Amino acid sequence: MTVPPSAEPDAAGTQRVRDASAIALRNLHKRFGRDAVALDGVDLDIHAGEFFTLLGPSGCGKTTLLRILAGLEAPNEGTLTIGGKDVTTTPPHLRSVNTVFQSYALFPHLSVHDNIAFGLRMKGVAAAERERRVQEIADFIKLGALMERRVNQLSGGQRQRVALARALVCEPDVLLLDEPLSALDAGLRNQLQVELQRTQKRLGMTFVFVTHDQEEAMVMSDRIAVLDGGVIQQVGPPQTVYEHPVNAFVARFMGHVNLFEIGSVNGDRVTTALGQLRLEQPLAEHERHGMLLIRQEVIELGPEVPEGYNALQGVVRERLYRGSRVEYRLEVDGVVLLATASNLGQRLHAVGDRVTVSICPEDIVRLDA
Amino acid sequence: MKRGAFHRSLTLFWWVVMAFLYLPLAVIVFYSFNSANSSAYFAGFSLRWYDKLIHNDQLLDALGNTLVLGITSSLLALVIGTLIGYGMYRHRARKLGWLIVLIYLPIVMPDIVFGISEMAFFISIDRQFGILGPSLLTMIIAHVTFQIPFVALIVYSRFVGLDPTLFEAAKDLYASPFQRARFFLLPTLKPSLIAAFFLSFTLSVDDFVISFFNAGPENATLPIYIWGAIRRGVSPEINAIATLMIGAVLIAAILSLLFNRQKQH
Repeated sequence: MTVPPSAEPDAAGTQRVRDASAIALRNLHKRFGRDAVALDGVDLDIHAGEFFTLLGPSGCGKTTLLRILAGLEAPNEGTLTIGGKDVTTTPPHLRSVNTVFQSYALFPHLSVHDNIAFGLRMKGVAAAERERRVQEIADFIKLGALMERRVNQLSGGQRQRVALARALVCEPDVLLLDEPLSALDAGLRNQLQVELQRTQKRLGMTFVFVTHDQEEAMVMSDRIAVLDGGVIQQVGPPQTVYEHPVNAFVARFMGHVNLFEIGSVNGDRVTTALGQLRLEQPLAEHERHGMLLIRQEVIELGPEVPEGYNALQGVVRERLYRGSRVEYRLEVDGVVLLATASNLGQRLHAVGDRVTVSICPEDIVRLDA
Repeated sequence: MKRGAFHRSLTLFWWVVMAFLYLPLAVIVFYSFNSANSSAYFAGFSLRWYDKLIHNDQLLDALGNTLVLGITSSLLALVIGTLIGYGMYRHRARKLGWLIVLIYLPIVMPDIVFGISEMAFFISIDRQFGILGPSLLTMIIAHVTFQIPFVALIVYSRFVGLDPTLFEAAKDLYASPFQRARFFLLPTLKPSLIAAFFLSFTLSVDDFVISFFNAGPENATLPIYIWGAIRRGVSPEINAIATLMIGAVLIAAILSLLFNRQKQH
């Protein structure tokens, strides 16, 4: 997967193998001051050409990790290799890594054109070549009409594009993106999510993206790493992380709410606050603790209980109509259970209705507390 | 009704303050074009005092001294003050309390205290080592000392107003430390540096007290010359010099303001 270091350190980076972008983090520790631990032993492999997202709440260490990748922060312990080269102590200006900053950090004294050309100029790329590449990227990101503008004459979305162009034009081994969409309104955000993902696929460049928004992470990423307390909780494709979170933190962060502690276990029967639930298969000895997750959208409400399903009796306490779907807050045995139903034109349940709740054993996931 | 009266009295107050500030200057400017030998009456428009002025060698020497002193000290203060301002910014996370107070103290220190202590300091060094006798050099050193805090303050406030990620963006975009200074710091600071230069220059030209205590016999600046001349009676020539100085300071102040404002965007 990783390629032996090609010839010499190529900060100039005229020729590059895309494989030079595989990243390996080993046992990274970072403390700020005496006792603020930002990263507490991070091991991670990011593949070449992957759209990789670091996801977590603020203060989880995701931004610190990104800054270590960029070279703006040095780890207290551990190593970082990019394309097989140890760059742990390499200063940022000698790394073939570029960043799209959250605030965009466009130079106010330069035009859009000069902002984009900045990196190439610093690397000493000849003027003609530089012009060609700036033009190319401007066409690619569709900045044509903005090139002579000053930065302060741009809208938020335009700044974001310029920041992206300024980083991409350098053709780095790795592109880092620090919550680049968080300052934009929802519509523009969705549009740019799609654009970013397309750009990454077209270029085949390794993107490392930081966000606290789990939907954004799922839409864009090939793989997601969920961080908390400076520790990686889970790494995997969006579907795995969403449908099979490894612990309660990941589950809650991915938006799940129906988590129930495992009580007594008898084969495939588990007692929880909801009552007794049947699982797809008996829990192994080492799995008889932790929690059960029932995703909102797998819960079926209806008079008939399909063959083999768990059946519970509940009362509708609240209904949130969201157009494409309807969310019900149910009370089952004094316990709150949330259920989301697609709005297929069926008759909606009203607040106060008694409903039968059906849950397929396959859809119940066991995870660590 | 009451409100109207209040507003009228405010407006009146405004004009009183303006008159208080600028009427004396206007009188000087007015009488500098007076053809009479005294400022007691106006005899008619004339440029004779300006003519006399440009043939006064002593005065031209003083003007020369003022310019040399002003430009040299401002340039030196610009370099030192910028470094201090940048250092203050770079280490702003540390508690620099007393250091900052020491840097800013000259701003609030009375000129007379400053001037006398510099003089005493230079004289004692001169006695010991035979250098730094009262001369243009001691004046330049004294001026640089009081200009530095102003430059440092302007530079520091420019940096504080910047997005701190810009410094990181420059590193991230392959700029070496030297390139960061050349292509990021200096261009970003340029308007502030020009503003700081004009402010320093204005302060230097304006200064009498500190110059007076540190000047050698040959180094009279314009304010010192005027002071000497006035002791022999207020000649209309002084009006002409004053008018020219008002003009020069006004232009420098306006330029300083313009450049300082330009950096805002």
